Amino acid sequence: MALGLAMVAPVAFAGSGTTAEHIEAATAAYKQVAKETGYQWTVSVVAIKAAKKALEAGDDKLARKLAHDAMDLVEATRTQAKLESETWKMRVPK
Amino acid sequence: MKKIIRNVAFGVIGLSVAAASVAGPEEDRQAFRKFYENRFPQVQPFGDFQNGVYSILPAAREQWEAIEEFPPYELSIERGEQIYNKTFANGKSLKDCFGEDGAVREKYPHWDKSRGMVVTMELAINECLEANGEKPLKYKKGAIADVSSYMSYNSRGQILNVEIPSDDPRALAAYEMGKEQFYTKRGQLNFACADCHMHTAGMMYRADTTSPALGHATSWPVFRSKWQEMGTLHRRFAGCHTNIRANPYKAQGEEYRNLEYFVSYMSNGLEFNGPAARK
Repeated sequence: MALGLAMVAPVAFAGSGTTAEHIEAATAAYKQVAKETGYQWTVSVVAIKAAKKALEAGDDKLARKLAHDAMDLVEATRTQAKLESETWKMRVPK
Repeated sequence: MKKIIRNVAFGVIGLSVAAASVAGPEEDRQAFRKFYENRFPQVQPFGDFQNGVYSILPAAREQWEAIEEFPPYELSIERGEQIYNKTFANGKSLKDCFGEDGAVREKYPHWDKSRGMVVTMELAINECLEANGEKPLKYKKGAIADVSSYMSYNSRGQILNVEIPSDDPRALAAYEMGKEQFYTKRGQLNFACADCHMHTAGMMYRADTTSPALGHATSWPVFRSKWQEMGTLHRRFAGCHTNIRANPYKAQGEEYRNLEYFVSYMSNGLEFNGPAARK
């Protein structure tokens, strides 16, 4: 896959690949983060679906933006999972 | 969207509760109880925490007590009794699994050593059905809530006494998983159960006051005014997760059973008082 779907670190989207590939990358990243961390945000799915819908409607610019939004949400999910693995114990009362 | 990542990071800062990562379950429970006793000293006697948000809101309590005169879960108990006594195709019934009146609430949730998992009452109900060739019930509402209502009603007054057997480290691992679930932030809105139901319990989110987590496990299933029907504890877990924009886990899956294990253990010593009415 052009965008290296195996890596789920922040991906530079700018200028590379088709919009469909960007959507596919966001979808793959969402699934990978879900599998690795157990964390999934409902809004990530909403963004991916909206991107697909925009692409189907022929609005490539909007679809690409939504795909980028979806990827940002997935990256935020990953960040949340990482931070929480280190900090949840701080909330346990002594 | 970068703001989201930044906000997630900032959301961690400022939560300043002392770490207790090496404490065992009993130390956890005592600290948990002490937290709420200090936070809500007006809740007297201690057992009143079983009444959820109505233990801390006098005006809401008055309305709730009025509702309890004609409780909206009564029909659910009646339907549950019919299902409970209904004969299966093989001639048996739920009585063969749970006794004449199903007053077994105090046995759940418990650690099943042979299978290495937490067993909840709703899970046990469906396992009984399936073992007798009957179709299992869906876990969040409907018939499962009705049967659970009937069994919980007959179990009223029993005391929560969840055990974490010391001779099986997997039980402690399940408890710890549930504990982590409770204290871990999830979803785009970045909330943990503890955020609403511990650190800001008693405060308002929009038009609602959040209930203390102490006592959360005592009153299920619940007729929730928002639902206008009965629902199970796992339905509520899923609803909370959806509210904070986290994909919910599967009802009666490992995550929610372990979370139930944890919140139930934290409420040890309180009475079961389900089914209940809540807003």
